Amino acid sequence: MGAFLELDRLTRVFAGSPAVRELSLAVGEHEIVTLLGPSGCGKTTTLRMVAGFEIPDSGRVVLDGRDVTRVPPQKRGFGMVFQHYALFPHMSVRANVAFGLETVGLSRVEIERRAARALELVRLPGTGDRSIGSLSGGQQQRVALARALAPEPQVLLLDEPLSNLDATLREQTRRELRALVKEIGITTIYVTHDQEEAFDLSDRIAVMREGRLEQSGPAEDLYHRPATEFVATFLGRAGAVEGLVGEVHDDGLISCRLAEGVIWKAQAARGSELAEAGMKLRLLARPEALAFARPGSDGALRGTVRETRFAGSVYLYTVTVGHGELEVQAVAEQARPGDLVGVVPSSAPAGLFAFPAGAERQTG
Amino acid sequence: MSAWGGGAGRQRGPRDRLFLAAVFVLLFWAVVYPNLVVLAGSLRGDAGLTTRHYAAFFGTASELRALWSSVWISALTVMFSALIGVPLALLFARYEFPGRRLLGALAAMPVLLPPLVGVIAILFLYGESGIATRLVQDFLGLESPPWRLHGAGAILAVHAYSMYVYFYLFTLAGLARLDPAVFEAAASLGAGRIRTFGRVTLPLLTPTLAGASLLTFMTSMASFSAPYVLGGGFRVMTTQIFNSKLQGEMGMAMVETVMLAAVSLMVLWPLSRWEGSREYVSPGKGAAPQRLPVKSRWAAVGVPAAAGFGVFLLILPHLTLLLVSLVPDGSWTVQTLPPRYSLENYAQLFSELRTFRPIVNSLLMASAATFIAVAFALAVGQLVVRWRVPGRRLLEAMLAVPWALPGTVLAVALATTFSVSQPWAGRFVLVGTAWILVMAYALRVLPLTGRAVLAGYRQLDPSFEEAAASLGAGRWRTLRRVTIPALLPAIAAGASLAFVTGLGEFVASIVLYTHRTRPISIEILAQLRDFDLGAAAAYGVLLMVLVAGAFTLAQRWIQGERAKAS
Ligand SMILES: Nc1ncnc2c1ncn2[C@@H]1O[C@H](COP(=O)(O)OP(=O)(O)OP(=O)(O)O)[C@@H](O)[C@H]1O
Ligand SMILES: [Mg+2]
Repeated sequence: MGAFLELDRLTRVFAGSPAVRELSLAVGEHEIVTLLGPSGCGKTTTLRMVAGFEIPDSGRVVLDGRDVTRVPPQKRGFGMVFQHYALFPHMSVRANVAFGLETVGLSRVEIERRAARALELVRLPGTGDRSIGSLSGGQQQRVALARALAPEPQVLLLDEPLSNLDATLREQTRRELRALVKEIGITTIYVTHDQEEAFDLSDRIAVMREGRLEQSGPAEDLYHRPATEFVATFLGRAGAVEGLVGEVHDDGLISCRLAEGVIWKAQAARGSELAEAGMKLRLLARPEALAFARPGSDGALRGTVRETRFAGSVYLYTVTVGHGELEVQAVAEQARPGDLVGVVPSSAPAGLFAFPAGAERQTG
Repeated sequence: MSAWGGGAGRQRGPRDRLFLAAVFVLLFWAVVYPNLVVLAGSLRGDAGLTTRHYAAFFGTASELRALWSSVWISALTVMFSALIGVPLALLFARYEFPGRRLLGALAAMPVLLPPLVGVIAILFLYGESGIATRLVQDFLGLESPPWRLHGAGAILAVHAYSMYVYFYLFTLAGLARLDPAVFEAAASLGAGRIRTFGRVTLPLLTPTLAGASLLTFMTSMASFSAPYVLGGGFRVMTTQIFNSKLQGEMGMAMVETVMLAAVSLMVLWPLSRWEGSREYVSPGKGAAPQRLPVKSRWAAVGVPAAAGFGVFLLILPHLTLLLVSLVPDGSWTVQTLPPRYSLENYAQLFSELRTFRPIVNSLLMASAATFIAVAFALAVGQLVVRWRVPGRRLLEAMLAVPWALPGTVLAVALATTFSVSQPWAGRFVLVGTAWILVMAYALRVLPLTGRAVLAGYRQLDPSFEEAAASLGAGRWRTLRRVTIPALLPAIAAGASLAFVTGLGEFVASIVLYTHRTRPISIEILAQLRDFDLGAAAAYGVLLMVLVAGAFTLAQRWIQGERAKAS
């Protein structure tokens, strides 16, 4: 898919501290890309540069081959849904939705028609005369979406649009949102700090950290082949132990020596420089990729159960091992805190990732 | 009687009823009763009931003209004040440029000038022998002054100068309450600056602007200093009342008083309902308001320069006052700028009992009035918000009544009511004492102080007091240890307003003062009459400094309390 919207080395510095650094991201036409990252990592700033509310200190925003970096927001034709919706409280629902249509030079009738259609699209037909204050949070969110979509923008930008809804409504709404956006086929950038939301909604996720892009790709890619330790721990759960490189294989796998006689095969992090035997590494393991074994059995890492948690369908155990802490997932209750256990990989190398030790600190 | 709600659902005993009754009666006696006396007086002739005075009023063209002048001057004052205040507020709230903070703060400086002081400062600047007038005259080589600060135009100019601050401060506060994302939403929907202003900013600010209009209109209707000093032959209702009273035509003075109050109320009702009808508060605020950087190179220089020049014009009266206060008596005659400067005037202010007395008077009377106003506001707040007593709307309305009554009206009402001794009718001779001035000051500030304190009460979390009650604190202990400390910021705000207003009060004072009780403002007038401009200006500067000090102290203190609370 060719890039329809391209963020090219965007940088924005506030009072000496960079909020976004050299961020590049290509969004294909009709694609939904989510910017995901912890609070304060620069998601909103990035989105606002795309929308035109912030001028980047360096870098470009390119739409369909045209540089729009300095085009003011009102000329850019991007639709935006704000976190608190920013609906015009003095206007009716219809007037809100029609607002963006009025500048285009349409006839009254046509404006009415399109506003009504936009309201139908978000399943709020017949609410045109209501006042904004009389709507529920979920309805307001949908009016905000209708308002952004009514002028048929080329790009839709959403900044945590669901964060003000309660949990149940949020889950339902994000499915509907995806269905709707896909139906229209609009190129979308979605901002959230909620990984479940990102998984549910996006074609592709771009994980951000401290103003930088850590990794972008489909959710499965990020989950199963994280490029950095940060991505591995931010998306899904992972425990970590330290070890040494045993052997480097051609197929991108690494044998990791975690203790005397304990060697696990793991995927080498993308582009990592774990090239020689004897280098220090950190092994990250997904809980579902580990299982219990008798302590002392072949290839089992010895440890002590520190904590057990019942998480609905499964149990999660935190196990303290020599140089780290692992999490093990099991379907039945298998151990108690204080128990001496052995831990083995259940489907190596899936869910096991080897990173150079110390890399965590370098990126920070 | 049904159980009174609120306040942890306690039963109200006889002592509470007594308290309610006392507050009610006192308020009625001080606020409503004098006006009824005036109303009755306007209908009384030598031989019982008569409409003779009203007939005289409506039969005299000059009376009707004065009433009409009050109205149109006030309407134009609202317009001009809005034209200055709103753009200034938008400039400082929405754009970022060097010096924005300092200039933004300086733009509110006219609040430091009590009405009479503002008028004389402008007189010193633009009057017949004012500094700016002389400068322009010299520059152009004219025989006579290029303009005359006189009549309706002069009154309007002074009004606009001293009242645009309402629009400025209200608009700033209104903008701060809005979610800045709505402006970005408008831009993302293709609206340019002008469209965003017309369709989004302005409509969202209407309740705010209605509030500012209301305040400006009422203040202008009540304005006395500017028409009194600058009006010349041009009469408005307040000066008319003053003259009638001076000439002993009490019947006419009372009719004029009733008419001014009636017209003010007629405007107050519809406007205040409109103000309250719609209030747009942003749901949870997004980011801090984004200020647009001034972009083009032309604007980067032009905007701060224009803002700086505008603000310079606005504080020119303050500077003039300061300058004149440093001019020794009789040393400045025909020169454009004063030839000599000294601190003589200030030294004199504090060295003679005759000149020092007004300062002491003003400080004491303003303090007493502040104490009374705050006490009433607290009592009403407790009854209305906490205990939710029956008749609470009436109580709250009584607090607001003096707002609709111009100072002159209030003064005439008090002077009439408390000039005879009829203890059985609640009338005592207070005229001639300092107490009648204290009462006038307290009543004049009651609406503003009441508003501030009641707003504080409404923001209080009731569970505060319930928590205290659950810990075994009695009602008065709860009030003293929990409620009042939590209200301190609101009290500080209300008290500083009251104190500052009392300190510079002129309108009611000029009707009620005696030589012994004269406040600073009256002394300023006396010095002007003696052509001792330096001394008048020194008093003016002193007031300005006291006002600034009171506001700063209160502000510091409020911020300190807030910091402690969070
Ligand atoms: N206008 C501004 N002035 C100064 N600093 C800013 C401004 N806007 C953002 N920042 C800073 O830039 C950094 C990134 O902010 P941003 O709002 O983009 O984060 P975010 O990822 O959207 O966080 P959140 O999930 O909390 O919304 C933060 O440290 C923030 O304090
Ligand atoms: Mg954000």
